[in-house]
Amino acid sequence: MAEGQSGAKTPADFLKSIKGKAVIVKLNSGVDYRGVLACLDGYMNIAMEQTEEYVNGQLKNKYGDCFIRGNNVLYISTVRQA
Amino acid sequence: MAEEDNTVREPLDLIRLSLDEKVYVKLKGERELRGKLHAYDQHLNIILGDVEETVTTVEIDEETFEEIIKTNKRMVPYLFVRGDGVILVSPPLRS
Amino acid sequence: MLFYSYFKTLVGKEVTVELKNDLAITGTLHSVDQYLNIKLNSIRVVNEQKYPHMLSVRNCFVRGSVVRYVQLPPGSVDVELLHDATRREARGG
Repeated sequence: MAEGQSGAKTPADFLKSIKGKAVIVKLNSGVDYRGVLACLDGYMNIAMEQTEEYVNGQLKNKYGDCFIRGNNVLYISTVRQA
Repeated sequence: MAEEDNTVREPLDLIRLSLDEKVYVKLKGERELRGKLHAYDQHLNIILGDVEETVTTVEIDEETFEEIIKTNKRMVPYLFVRGDGVILVSPPLRS
Repeated sequence: MLFYSYFKTLVGKEVTVELKNDLAITGTLHSVDQYLNIKLNSIRVVNEQKYPHMLSVRNCFVRGSVVRYVQLPPGSVDVELLHDATRREARGG
C-alpha cells in the first residue's frame, strides 16, 4: 500500500498524527491560519498556538493561543518547517 | 473528582482556561468582540461582560471605486452571543 | 442546558434581542425553551424608522437560530454563579 509521509491511513489517523505540528488551517471564508496545532476534537474545533492570520495572503493578526470553531474549517494542511 | 488542571487536552480546554479573562472573539459578518468571558457551553454560546463590539464595513466610493473601510464601535455591559456565529476565540496575550 | 437555565432566570426582565438580519427588539422576556427560542412581550423595535412594519407588533416569538446577540440586564448577571455553572458544564458535557 502506497503511503504518504507519516504513514497515516485514514483522515482520523492523519488528524491524530499532526498534533504539535506546524499547520495551515483554511476557513470557508478563505482566511488562513498558520501556527502550531495544539489539539482538535471530533467537530474539528481546533486549538492552535503562535497563530498568524492571513487574509488574501497578507498577515492581519497574531494570536498566542486561539480556538477555531470547527464548522468554519475548510481544511487543515501540514507545512514543512522553514 | 477532577482537579482544576491547566492542561489543554481538547480545544474547549483553551476556552475553559480563559474564564473570567478578557478574550477576543471573531464572529461572522466582520464583527469582533472584546470582553470578559463569564460563561460558555459546548456550542460556543458565550456571555461576555464589558464588551466592545467592532463592526467593519467596506463601501465602494462611487467615483473612484476605492474601498472605504469603516469601523463602528459600541460598548455593551453584558452580552449573550449565540455560538453559531463564532469563528475564533483567543485569550489575551500572556506576556 | 446552562444557557437555557440561565435564560429562565431572566423571565419577566427586559432584554434586547439582536437578530442576524440586524433587527433589534427590546421586550419583556416571556419564556424560553431548550433551543433558546424566545417569546417577548410588549416589544419595541430599536430602529423603528427603519422597520415601520413592526410598529403594530406587541408580542413575538423569535426562533433561537436567528438570534445573534441578547443584551442582558446588568442587574441580573451573577458572574460567580455563571462561572460555577460553566465549570460544572465543562466537566459534565
